[in-house]
Amino acid sequence: MSNPTQPVGPGLPETQTMVTDQVVPPAQEGQRKGKQKGGKPASLWTDAWYDLRRRPMFILSLIIIAVLLVMSFWPSLFTSIDPFNARTCDLSTARQLPSAGHMFGKDNLGCDVYARTIYGARNSIVIGVFTTLITALLGGLLGIISGYFSGAIDVISSRVTEIFFAIPPILGALLIAATFRGRANSIMLVILALALLGWPMTFRIMRAAVITAKSQDFVVAAKALGAGAGRIMFRHLLPNSLAPVIVVSTINLGGFIAAEAALSFLGVGVQSPDISWGLMIADARNRFLDAPLPLVFPAVFLSITVLAFIMMGDAVRDALDPKLR
Amino acid sequence: MRVTKGAQIVAGTALLALAVAACGGGASDGGGTAAGGSETPVRMEIGEPQELLVPQNTTETEGSEVLAAVFSPLVGYDENKQPVEEAAESITTSDSKVWTIKLKPGYTWHDGTPVTAEDYKRAWDFAAYQDNAMSSSYFFGRVDGYNDVHPGEGKTPTAKEMKGLKVVDDNTLEVTLSAPFSQFKTMLGYTAFYPLPKSAFGPDGKVTQEYGEKPIGQGLFKLDKPYKKGTDQTIELSVYDKFTGAKPKNWTKLQFKVYTSSETAYNDLQAENLDIHDSLPASAIAGAKAALGDRYHDEPDASVGYIGVPLKYNPEFNNPDIRKAISMAIDRKTITETVFSGTRAPADDFINPAIPGYRQGACDACTYNPAEAKKLYESAKGPKTLELGYNADGGHKEWIEAVANNLRANLGIEVSPKPFEKFQGILDALDAKEYKGLFRMGWSIDYPSPENYLTPIFGTGAIETGSNYGGYSNKEFDALVAKGDQATDPAEGLKFYQQADDILIKELPYIPVYFYRSNFGNSTKVKNVKLNLLNQVEWADIEKA
Repeated sequence: MSNPTQPVGPGLPETQTMVTDQVVPPAQEGQRKGKQKGGKPASLWTDAWYDLRRRPMFILSLIIIAVLLVMSFWPSLFTSIDPFNARTCDLSTARQLPSAGHMFGKDNLGCDVYARTIYGARNSIVIGVFTTLITALLGGLLGIISGYFSGAIDVISSRVTEIFFAIPPILGALLIAATFRGRANSIMLVILALALLGWPMTFRIMRAAVITAKSQDFVVAAKALGAGAGRIMFRHLLPNSLAPVIVVSTINLGGFIAAEAALSFLGVGVQSPDISWGLMIADARNRFLDAPLPLVFPAVFLSITVLAFIMMGDAVRDALDPKLR
Repeated sequence: MRVTKGAQIVAGTALLALAVAACGGGASDGGGTAAGGSETPVRMEIGEPQELLVPQNTTETEGSEVLAAVFSPLVGYDENKQPVEEAAESITTSDSKVWTIKLKPGYTWHDGTPVTAEDYKRAWDFAAYQDNAMSSSYFFGRVDGYNDVHPGEGKTPTAKEMKGLKVVDDNTLEVTLSAPFSQFKTMLGYTAFYPLPKSAFGPDGKVTQEYGEKPIGQGLFKLDKPYKKGTDQTIELSVYDKFTGAKPKNWTKLQFKVYTSSETAYNDLQAENLDIHDSLPASAIAGAKAALGDRYHDEPDASVGYIGVPLKYNPEFNNPDIRKAISMAIDRKTITETVFSGTRAPADDFINPAIPGYRQGACDACTYNPAEAKKLYESAKGPKTLELGYNADGGHKEWIEAVANNLRANLGIEVSPKPFEKFQGILDALDAKEYKGLFRMGWSIDYPSPENYLTPIFGTGAIETGSNYGGYSNKEFDALVAKGDQATDPAEGLKFYQQADDILIKELPYIPVYFYRSNFGNSTKVKNVKLNLLNQVEWADIEKA
């Protein structure tokens, strides 16, 4: 997108950053709500926030996610053991049961399971967040363009999306990751592989939302007043179609974290010496019957994390979807 | 509610894909009866053979296992590790230089034609001829005239047949060696010395693709249908009626199932979908004793596990002190006890204890000494990062990770274990210069002689044609081994081999880590399962329960 807003802009000094800044704020401005109580499109976000604050499920998932974020940025707050230091592993204590110094016990190589689980959070969160960002940006941008312009652009991009949609995500990611394994940073590779197969969903949702919004009066009015494509798309359509994209992205985030674990489990995701829950599960799997704990702990963390994001997505959806209320 | 539904569909597909991928490693079940008849075959686990099933081009254990069922070797080995005649009537020599091999009459090819001395000569000449690029050509290096057919890279062979091979009559082959070699008879049990029928060769004088898929042998089993490497998950065989040697008592069908993961195979064994599994994964062994009871076998084995050093590809490892430091930083005792649950023994020599010539504690640098290791590594300026390549299909991950942890902790360097799909992948990557790190290596003997731990892995001549994948070359070592070969007195020969072994211990071209024990299991459907010295199953002894 070159900058089509400039020539048509009706006097207001507008920059790209302002465009994005203004997506949410007008809706959240408190005084606006106070002044004109019935401003329907503008109050969606305020209402949603009001609604969310009252949902225990949302609060709970928010707390879990906050803890996970702290865990992935400052793992040393949770454990004094650095799992990347091989000296902390002692092979002769392999598969030891939990003890005072090692609350989750030791894994097959005599490394502390608790420390590894804590440090494993970072890769999961990083991969989940970045994959979601890329899919949201790529899918959202293409979706808005495709939905707004319709015609040939829409037909072509929709068909391309269907091709990507037809590939089972894990199988496709497995293929990509296995093919390029060793040629790129393993974490980056996982993000790219998952993002490449994840964006069509965001695309479809954005496109559908834009098509619905496009026929509304305020868009017609903006067009009649001479607003350009860029201005209509980013100033009018985007804020009004953002809700479903945010919802699906939040839910997908959990899915991407699970997908990362699956890829690592299958040996094509994160590679040792990096730590990932999927990798820990894979390593502990073979001796599960002798020593179940090194598998159970990362698995529980993984489940809770995925659950937290999906719960949050569910809560946000309920809050944003007026039809449910 | 499109949003939620979409997310669920994704999750559902993801699970499905996972299940599909997880199944990918297993062999298909129920393929056994396809070959005809209603008898359930005896099913054995193998990894995928590296090459087509041509004995002269098979130098790895998986293909050898199959070929050992199809062919009958000239010699087998008794309990004292001494060679005894099998397809041969007698093998005699007076000077260790000229050997007379008389064939046992009555052997026929699976197509009915009799086996003659010419079949042996033809196969051996084919294996040795340079342009045929057979991986076992090295084994014929001792035969007089080998240099004429295999002069080395860049040179053209001046003959097609070795002058040291002479067919005296249909049942007698005379082999003249270029120099006396006291262990020659011991060698003859190896896959490379199997004969080939005339029909194996195409009009261009090379073994045909067709033959490689369905080899015709003179042994206990014949293939029921061609084996398409890469697609087929099983190899189907049945007993050859006219075989004159010992036959199994109450069964006739044999099936090799190709697995890419020994863990999957172990699960199949427990589910009785597999009868013999001879490469139990390390992770299963602790549980296997309890799960299989007396169907679990733990026997001494003559194989050795190493960390290979790519001397030929990476000059960083040229200083022997670096190799020594790496060796001293590995805690072999704990690895064998914890990772292998005591089913392997810490290596302390290049020669395995199962073979004469082993000296306990011979390798000083094989003793765990982290302090000395660090000092030595730093003064030798060893590389700051190391890679440890291993093949992911053989249950090696855990011990490689353990070694990696040892090296990280004790040398203070970065170590990345690097999985390759198959062992050949490591060698290909080394050759293609895409990889130049350390690699996991194992050696399982071809014939029970100390010489077999030396020449084929570390001899200069083995770089091109043998298994010297690291590319180590030392003239003094080569000379000592040659002296051992030529000794007429076995005790004197042993002395030279041990001197050569001393050079290896000093230079550590590979780092010996453990001695194998052979751990195999069988299902309740078969009994009396035994492995011979070459780790091949003694099929005739097996009975169906």
